[in-house]
Amino acid sequence: MEFLLEINVEEMPSSHVRTAIEDLRDRFEKELAAAKIPVKELRTYSTCRRLVVVAELAEGQEAREQIVTGPPKAVAFAADGAPTAAALGFARSRGIDVARLEIITTEKGEYVGFRRIEKGRDAAEILARIVPQVIGSLSFPKMMRWGEGQLRFSRPMRNILCLLGGKIVPFVIDGLASSDTTTGHKIRSPQKIAVTSFEQYRAALKEHLVTVDAEERKTALLAQIENLLAPLKAQLYPDPELLNKLANDVECPLVIMGVFPELYLDLPLEILSTAMREGQKLFSVVRGRKQLPCFLGVADMPADTRGFIQKGNERVLKARLEDARFFWEQDLKLSLKKRAPALKHVLFQEKLGSYDDKTQRLKKIATYLCGKIEDCKDAADVAMAAEYCKTDLVTDMVREFPSLQGKVGGLYARVEGLPADVSQAIYEHYQPVGLDDESPLSLGGAILSIADKLDSIIGVVGVGVQMTGSSDPFGLRRNAQGICKIILDRKLNFSFPRLLDKVLAVYGDKLKRPKAEILDYGREFFLNRLRYIYERRGYRYDLINAALGAGLDNISHSFLRVKALDALKASPQFEPFILMAKRVNNILTGQPACSLNADLFVEKAEMNLFSTFSIVRENVVPMIAKGDFAQAQKMVFRLQPGLNQFFDSVLVMDKESRLRKNRLALLQAIRRILVQMADYSQVVVEGEQPAAKK
Amino acid sequence: MSLQSLIMNLQKYWADQGCYLAPSYDLEVGAGTMTPDTFFRVLDKRAWKVAYVQPSRRPTDGRYGKNPHRVQKHYQFQVIVKPSPADIQQLYINSLTSLGIDLKDHDLRFDEDDWESPTIGAWGVGWQVMLDGLEITQFTYFQQAGGLEVFPIPVEITYGLERLEMFLEEKDNIYDLKWSEDVSYRDLRYEEERQFSEFNFSQATVPSLREIFNQAEREAGRLIEKDLILPAYDQCLKCSHAFNLLDSRGAISVTERVKMIAQIRALVNQVALKFTGAGGAS
Repeated sequence: MEFLLEINVEEMPSSHVRTAIEDLRDRFEKELAAAKIPVKELRTYSTCRRLVVVAELAEGQEAREQIVTGPPKAVAFAADGAPTAAALGFARSRGIDVARLEIITTEKGEYVGFRRIEKGRDAAEILARIVPQVIGSLSFPKMMRWGEGQLRFSRPMRNILCLLGGKIVPFVIDGLASSDTTTGHKIRSPQKIAVTSFEQYRAALKEHLVTVDAEERKTALLAQIENLLAPLKAQLYPDPELLNKLANDVECPLVIMGVFPELYLDLPLEILSTAMREGQKLFSVVRGRKQLPCFLGVADMPADTRGFIQKGNERVLKARLEDARFFWEQDLKLSLKKRAPALKHVLFQEKLGSYDDKTQRLKKIATYLCGKIEDCKDAADVAMAAEYCKTDLVTDMVREFPSLQGKVGGLYARVEGLPADVSQAIYEHYQPVGLDDESPLSLGGAILSIADKLDSIIGVVGVGVQMTGSSDPFGLRRNAQGICKIILDRKLNFSFPRLLDKVLAVYGDKLKRPKAEILDYGREFFLNRLRYIYERRGYRYDLINAALGAGLDNISHSFLRVKALDALKASPQFEPFILMAKRVNNILTGQPACSLNADLFVEKAEMNLFSTFSIVRENVVPMIAKGDFAQAQKMVFRLQPGLNQFFDSVLVMDKESRLRKNRLALLQAIRRILVQMADYSQVVVEGEQPAAKK
Repeated sequence: MSLQSLIMNLQKYWADQGCYLAPSYDLEVGAGTMTPDTFFRVLDKRAWKVAYVQPSRRPTDGRYGKNPHRVQKHYQFQVIVKPSPADIQQLYINSLTSLGIDLKDHDLRFDEDDWESPTIGAWGVGWQVMLDGLEITQFTYFQQAGGLEVFPIPVEITYGLERLEMFLEEKDNIYDLKWSEDVSYRDLRYEEERQFSEFNFSQATVPSLREIFNQAEREAGRLIEKDLILPAYDQCLKCSHAFNLLDSRGAISVTERVKMIAQIRALVNQVALKFTGAGGAS
């Protein structure tokens, strides 16, 4: 039986539509499974005004056999096997023939009873209960109310089409009764349309200018774009996010092309494409990296018959480009250097002061980092980039297009004739904006980006702003991920704890939380971000935990540790070694630190282990320092035979305290090396109970 | 069509929908939302329908009359309908049709854009309405005002009159618009823009603006004590305008900005609490 639900809502943001559709699928699958209604197929569709679920359901719950028991056998039947009055009475009261009675064995003994098939409840009845629950349980990042209703939703809900086998599933949500109608295109076909099935619904909507399948709309957009651009040998300036938003926002996708005067081509591509995207949601058209004097826009219409949509968009865009050109020319009249003092009036964070304060800190942090990173040749350039990187916040261009922060500063620095390394570092210092964004190409940009992001994290954490669940007002998680990504992409090597110390020192006494607390929080925060990044890259969670368990001395090293564990996990030596390492750990639990004295070894096995260990240690220490954990790991495997022999033939917990302590000391020395590679106790070996996932 | 016939058409349309046509408020405000006909009327439970033109001043948007579409004072056509009716979007669409816009030739879109005003503790959910790429209206379902949840939910429709008129006249320059058949926007507004830009950016005296701010702030506090919340709210509006002018003079430091906004919001919140009767015994 076909189930069809369309929740008709006033225009929802595309992000809301995406999560609502996922939630609807999950909840329906879960609720229908819980209600024991078999689901053959469940599909979803959407536009900004419609959330649609179609499913092929059984007519109802599956029939179940039920056993009804009556009096005990002994009471129900006489000695000759004839039914007694009790049995006859039971059969009569249940409305069945006495011949259907049978003997039912229960835990309490034998009883008479009968079996009957209980018909399941109808799907319609169950859906009438489930659908309002599911709709009412949907949640959105920002919820609203409307009219006099109590329901909170993404945007006002205006109609609910809900059919099972072509018949209305009756229910009421917040005063809105389910119906068997929908409406067509908002402007062109707003009338009611009667619906009987999904295929008829889909076809009727098509006729009324609505394509209900988001993929189909996107394909149509791409095909129209291709048709318009192919003759020009041009491409879209890529913007997949905008394309997805527009495929959501229009029910009847139409691509229009428009032109603008060539004089605006003097503006950089970044500014042109942003002026087009923001506000009007237009696409920039390029050939290679060169902007062409035209744009593509998406309308919610079957055709631009009279050309008004194109003309209107051209007029609005021209005004915006005129503005942008005005800002560009005005901004360039005042150099970044002369702008810098105005940063005193721009707030970074209430308790952390202005962007001028931030700039002063950035200079110190970036200079420190330059000293710690080998390839950093020109610290003066990085310091200059730090000095000017925030000054574009006081330009008209960034006030108009905040998303261009950094880039605008970089472009102005280039025009002003600052060194190329300086302008590039400024340009790139917000990158990467997310894990899918590119890291800065220049080392200067990378250093500045790390400094800027870490300054924000330590500062905000340090004044006690709490991050809970989804609340992350300063984007600190994204910032921390950005830092990790840069370090991993560029394979930067420096002591992370010392960098944290440096940032804290630069803040001086501005942070009210105790330093130890900030450092703890910061370390845990970064560990969690790294865990997320490594999991996203597909590594086993227990190997990640083991690698991160070795500490956060150097972020690049933490990744090399994960890679080493991952590379060696399939080797035959791996699991036996893990078990051995755990054994070492276990025996050392609760033992005080002991000192090692080579003269106290008496058994051959302990002497052998000590001498192998001495060689292994000598080799492994420089490998660890270099971050060559794969080699170090292989080297450490060589301890295995010696350890086996040691545990087989030496009694660690010897009665004699001197011998016992010396043996413990040997194992402690081994463990000190092992913990620099990984916390092996976190590795899950087959057959063991997995450790709780962190 | 001229701006004045646009205004008359909208007035006629919304009066026919049962709106009371309010006169413009006589204090400087940044938006139609801030006048008592919106601010107080969205706070209580009573059904309310109102429409009015409100001159709206944003000193920092001044461009000395040189920018073809940015001005430090523009005119909003403000509509409040409470509770928001189920067909409000269609009513709005019909208002555009009533202006003679044939929507089958144009692209009308409700584009995600939530609205908030930290100064008066208000926010709502809605869209900017785009007509062939031009933003002509802000369409908002109020959720909070004066820091309080509102209920029933009012819908606010704010038409940008100049924008809409530029669309109707197909003009690129605001000063070329016709106010009436014989009087242009330039005739009425150009000199005003030039002079007020000079005032906003260079001539407004910072110490006296600060004094105006402080005085109005004290006065508002005192009037709230005396349960004179309507005059108290006027004083809040004076604070807000003085703040905007100080801002356009570049006279507000980082910490001051936060503090001043918080000061106004706190007063507005007290006014809202007293108005709704939640402010305790008087």
